[in-house]
Amino acid sequence: MTLLVGVDIGNSTTEACLAELGPDGPRYLGGALAPTSGVKGTAENVPGVVKVVQEALSAAGRAPHELATVLVNEATPVISGLAMETITETVITESTMIGHNPDTPAGAGLGTGTTVAFGELDTCESGERVICVVGAGVDFEDAAAGIAAARDRGVEVTGAVVHADDANLVVNRLPEPIPVVDEVTLVAKVPLGMPAAVEVAEPGRTVRTLSNSYGIATLFDLDPDRTRLVAPVARALVGNRSAVVVRTPSGDIADRRIPAGTLTLIGEHSRLSVGIDAGAEEIMAALRRVAPLADATGEAGTHVGGMLATVRDAMAETLSDAAAEQDVRIQDVLAVDTFVPQHVTGALAGEFALENAVALAAMVRTSRAPMEALAEQLRSALGVAVVVGGVEADMAVLGALTTPGTERPLAVLDLGGGSTDAALATGDGEVRSVHLAGAGDLVTKLIDSELGLDNREVAEDVKKNPLAKAESFFHVRMEDGTARFFDEPLPAEAFARVVVLGEEGMRPVPTRHSLEKVRQVRRSAKHKVFVVNALRALERVAPGGNLREVGFVVVLGGSALDFEVPDMIAEAVAGAGIVCGTGNVRGCEGPRNAVATGLVDNRAERAR
Amino acid sequence: MSGIVDRRGERNRRSPPTVVVHCIGEHGGGEHGFGERSFGEHDGVRELLAGLEEEGVPVRLADPGEWGDGPGGDGPSVTAVDLAHAAARASPLDVGVGIDSDSRVCVHHAKRPADRPVITTDATRARWCGHNAARLVVGLPLKEPPEQLEETWPHH
Repeated sequence: MTLLVGVDIGNSTTEACLAELGPDGPRYLGGALAPTSGVKGTAENVPGVVKVVQEALSAAGRAPHELATVLVNEATPVISGLAMETITETVITESTMIGHNPDTPAGAGLGTGTTVAFGELDTCESGERVICVVGAGVDFEDAAAGIAAARDRGVEVTGAVVHADDANLVVNRLPEPIPVVDEVTLVAKVPLGMPAAVEVAEPGRTVRTLSNSYGIATLFDLDPDRTRLVAPVARALVGNRSAVVVRTPSGDIADRRIPAGTLTLIGEHSRLSVGIDAGAEEIMAALRRVAPLADATGEAGTHVGGMLATVRDAMAETLSDAAAEQDVRIQDVLAVDTFVPQHVTGALAGEFALENAVALAAMVRTSRAPMEALAEQLRSALGVAVVVGGVEADMAVLGALTTPGTERPLAVLDLGGGSTDAALATGDGEVRSVHLAGAGDLVTKLIDSELGLDNREVAEDVKKNPLAKAESFFHVRMEDGTARFFDEPLPAEAFARVVVLGEEGMRPVPTRHSLEKVRQVRRSAKHKVFVVNALRALERVAPGGNLREVGFVVVLGGSALDFEVPDMIAEAVAGAGIVCGTGNVRGCEGPRNAVATGLVDNRAERAR
Repeated sequence: MSGIVDRRGERNRRSPPTVVVHCIGEHGGGEHGFGERSFGEHDGVRELLAGLEEEGVPVRLADPGEWGDGPGGDGPSVTAVDLAHAAARASPLDVGVGIDSDSRVCVHHAKRPADRPVITTDATRARWCGHNAARLVVGLPLKEPPEQLEETWPHH
């Protein structure tokens, strides 16, 4: 009888599986899990390993001196990187606009005229059509009185732009309502003496004239060339309840286009160039044509060039010095279409426009991690024999096979943080494996940028938890429509907001998006990465690329614990007649501990 | 008996749905930096009402003595929190605002515990309190405090 422990050092967690090896195979005594200390595959991992080994021993009530051997796997020698670039940009020339959505604009309709500062209103001639620009520090009563007085003199004040949140207060004090747009933070930058239009839609509606290129062309009497220049303004104003467009002399802001560039995919037999602006679908189609990929390069001085440089830099940082010297060759890329809220160049109230973007995850194969050095340190730290052995993919398959109800041919889908790995064990014991770029980290990045959160932690929360909306101080409405009540009143910051109900309690999502929108972004990000990669990976390992040849698919890894990803994958492969589900290693560990269990299992097989 | 009571006759006697404001104490015009305006009310109240009006929510200024909370009545020991909670309980919309003699402003909701108001601040932020009292009624997220008015996330 020998006591062994299998240890799997992952990117984020270190897992252990304790077993007693008897004449009739291994008897599993339990497992343990701890965060990985330091970068995977380096000597910094020792404290984390020591911790899980001790935890597994004490949980099983065994003493450290009883332990005979520690088994450590060979870490998968791949690392991955991410980059994202916008491929469109909204630049406004020959006009400026205010297209933000204040909660309470006032009046309704369209006003046109020349922009005039509030202080200059009394110099206007009778009959003049003007748009009044009210700067900071003007009280709403004074503003209303000034505009009313000007209108009494015959000056046609047809609309107003206000700095403070005052629109309704001003309009309520006018004898006749005019459209007023408020909360314009950069009101001082509104050009004066220029033709302008102010539009406010009825509550529940959006602007019609200023979001239409021909509407703007009609108002300002534009020729076709100028209409073309004003088209991005109209596009940026779509969906707003209020808007302002001011015509300015030409040449204020130059029109410029960023070259998106082309991505060159170098296969082992051929090479193909594809424009990044063709979108993710084209890029992935090109990748399938050149497969297997040997390397990828981006055109210098363009967005793609910059993206690949970012990815390589990030990788060089994680690589050890010795490895950094070798060529970093990209073995796989995953391109994903996305959109990013970007500041509109030439806008006045900090407007954003949704720009198309492409996110690129890339993966490189590295030289083998210095596992022997790590093993040596472990030997001295634990005082027992440490054996390095077993390819990670093979071990994962062995571990996955302990899931009740599985048999060969069995495919493992390991959904990690940086990469999606797949391995297929055919009936004759052969294991084929593949590592693909793009996994949980890319999903987090997509959620972060598409919602404009600019906060990785919040994005991570949104990814991992169902959403709810705080409808009162005592209850939330979950995204599936059920209500949940609380005894303690909710914090005021959460009121009427979209919240995530995570392990650390309720957290408001700092966004103005509706719950439906946040949910849709979350699900589409998961679909674009995990479902696409799951199919890609299974096609690569399946005999002849035929999914029907795969009998069982076991989903493993940290992202297999996600509340919806395994279901999405199961749904996507259901058509191929595959049994797909989240793994349950040893019938009790769920999707965790597969590699650690596989290590023990492998050892037991050999001992027999 | 059917148990159904015809209450249509009571409708007129019920107060219309408004946010209720309780205010005690006198505050001079220029004290809070709002200039020399005098509307019979102090500037905190004017700004508070402006905030509610901008959001389009009806409001009623009520005599705090009428609903004064406990034995303190409208004595100087009554805090903005007490006034606000009493106002909230008197409001058909469950939202009340209190302003005390120390120029503290408090926004409260009738369903919250008396000692845990939604907002307590001073009269310089009365406008912000007015907006937020209104937003509690219409179910919009509260506004950021004035210092952080600049939006840090996109508007779509």
